[in-house]
Amino acid sequence: MAGWYAPGTGGSVIVEDIRPPGPRPDGGEDLDDRADLIAHRRARRRARTQRVATGAAGIAVLLALWQVGAMLLGDQVALPSVSQTAAQFLHYLNHPYPAEGKPLWYDLYISLRRILIGFAIGVAGGVALGSAMSASRVVRHLVDPVIEILRPLPPLAFIPLFIVWLGIGETPKEVLIIVGVVPLMAVMTVVALDEVPDDLRLCARTLGASRAYTLLHVQIRAALPYILTGMRLAMAGAWSSIVAVEMIAATSGLGYVIQQAGDYLDTALVFAGILVIAVTALVLDAGLRGLLLLADPSRRG
Amino acid sequence: MAARAEPASEAAQDETRDAGPGGAAGVVLSGVGKTFRRAGRRTVALAGVDLEVRAGELLCLLGPSGCGKSTLLRIVAGALERDQGSVTVGGRPVTGPAPDRGMLFQTPMLFPWLTTRKNVLFGPRAQRSRGLHERDDPELEAEADAILETVGLAQFSDAFPHELSGGMQHRAAFARALVTRPSVLLMDEPFGALDALTRVRMHEFLLAMWERYRITIIFVTHDIEEAVLLGDRVAVMGGRPPGIREIIDVPLGRPRHALDVDTEGFLAVKRGIRSSLLS
Repeated sequence: MAGWYAPGTGGSVIVEDIRPPGPRPDGGEDLDDRADLIAHRRARRRARTQRVATGAAGIAVLLALWQVGAMLLGDQVALPSVSQTAAQFLHYLNHPYPAEGKPLWYDLYISLRRILIGFAIGVAGGVALGSAMSASRVVRHLVDPVIEILRPLPPLAFIPLFIVWLGIGETPKEVLIIVGVVPLMAVMTVVALDEVPDDLRLCARTLGASRAYTLLHVQIRAALPYILTGMRLAMAGAWSSIVAVEMIAATSGLGYVIQQAGDYLDTALVFAGILVIAVTALVLDAGLRGLLLLADPSRRG
Repeated sequence: MAARAEPASEAAQDETRDAGPGGAAGVVLSGVGKTFRRAGRRTVALAGVDLEVRAGELLCLLGPSGCGKSTLLRIVAGALERDQGSVTVGGRPVTGPAPDRGMLFQTPMLFPWLTTRKNVLFGPRAQRSRGLHERDDPELEAEADAILETVGLAQFSDAFPHELSGGMQHRAAFARALVTRPSVLLMDEPFGALDALTRVRMHEFLLAMWERYRITIIFVTHDIEEAVLLGDRVAVMGGRPPGIREIIDVPLGRPRHALDVDTEGFLAVKRGIRSSLLS
């Protein structure tokens, strides 16, 4: 009986987010009263604040090292400073980049649109496929080997194929993301639904829930945190696919800008592009993480 | 885990239970048998089980692992189909899981995403969604709060399961099962995973709750002492093919207490059951 019921280990933010939720960290001694519960929750919140503060300090140290290193090196092509990167970012945010005649925000919009469309379709398809695999042994045995073959393949290997089949428009880029997202989401969904103990379903039924109510309010609900964790992993994969395909076969998007800036030795803009990707990916992940915390109270605090 | 089609009589069963907790029902099993088929091999899990559990009785099913006691409990719950025989609860045949038979498991099986109070409200709300009753939220909440008070969790109604200790989780699960007013409680080694001290506390808790509600309980265990402490009768299971070998009366008075396990009378019953198990 793993999952909700298995003990977890502490660790970094990402480790704690991906691990299954565990019992109370204090080992689960009896709480004496409400005050105990409130104190327990306050301690968890304090631990989180501390963790976030330490993490922010880590980023500040990295930026400081970068700035000092760039100033010592004094070579803008090899390593532009933080301030040069910021200046380049602010300039091209609103001014069109010569190679394509569009400002940075437009490329961000293009990349984001490709990701969100591909991601949405991929998640829906993957969850549907995973549910079917979990519900039917035949479907599982039919699809499993196909996924096992597809899963380790880098989606980038398909780029030439998709261009031949689908041209050079938006479709091949979205399909590329879908191809990366579907197997991962299908596997995560199968795991998520399999992890829901049979007895949890039986429990709901003996409490008077109908079959449909149990499916919706217990089985799918119990699987939700794992599905959201899968979405976070899939989102990271989607970013690597989209940036790569934009470098090889696109005339717009952040990957394209980074590639162009590199060709013209505009390293500050390369850094600016990378940072835009980092921040955007972080924001999207924070959104998914927020949903995860909503879905799984044991991760809060 | 196949269950049969939804019984048409479920709604009717619910109406009769409006008498409140304590509307205990008897359970009658006759000639119940079950065979599992796995990878072409047939394993007889139960054969020819006859058992009559009286209304309001606390009956323990005792036996070693693999003796079919959990299988038997799940057949009564309606979670497993029987191959032979019949099971009736309060005179009505069992055709699937229904709220007249509450169930408690070794792990408390609380819904981790719901607070204690919402866990307790799960059953009443799920039943309302299929039209089994029309009681409104304030009424259901008042009832949930009352039962949380009874099990000693009133202060923790907004705590999530992961914030509760093992014993508290079991008490919450008990409250959740009780609020749907079952006429029979099926308990599948519910305290098997608890530490010794918490176990003693839960025995005390269960005995007090049973004295209060006088509900029919079928309690599965492999612990002789637990069976003697709790049960009015102990059904010893085992044999090939597995079935009920002997039903032993526990002639100890009530109310009992979790610490009364070393009196002469207690030890005598325990010795008798042990020899029955080992014979």
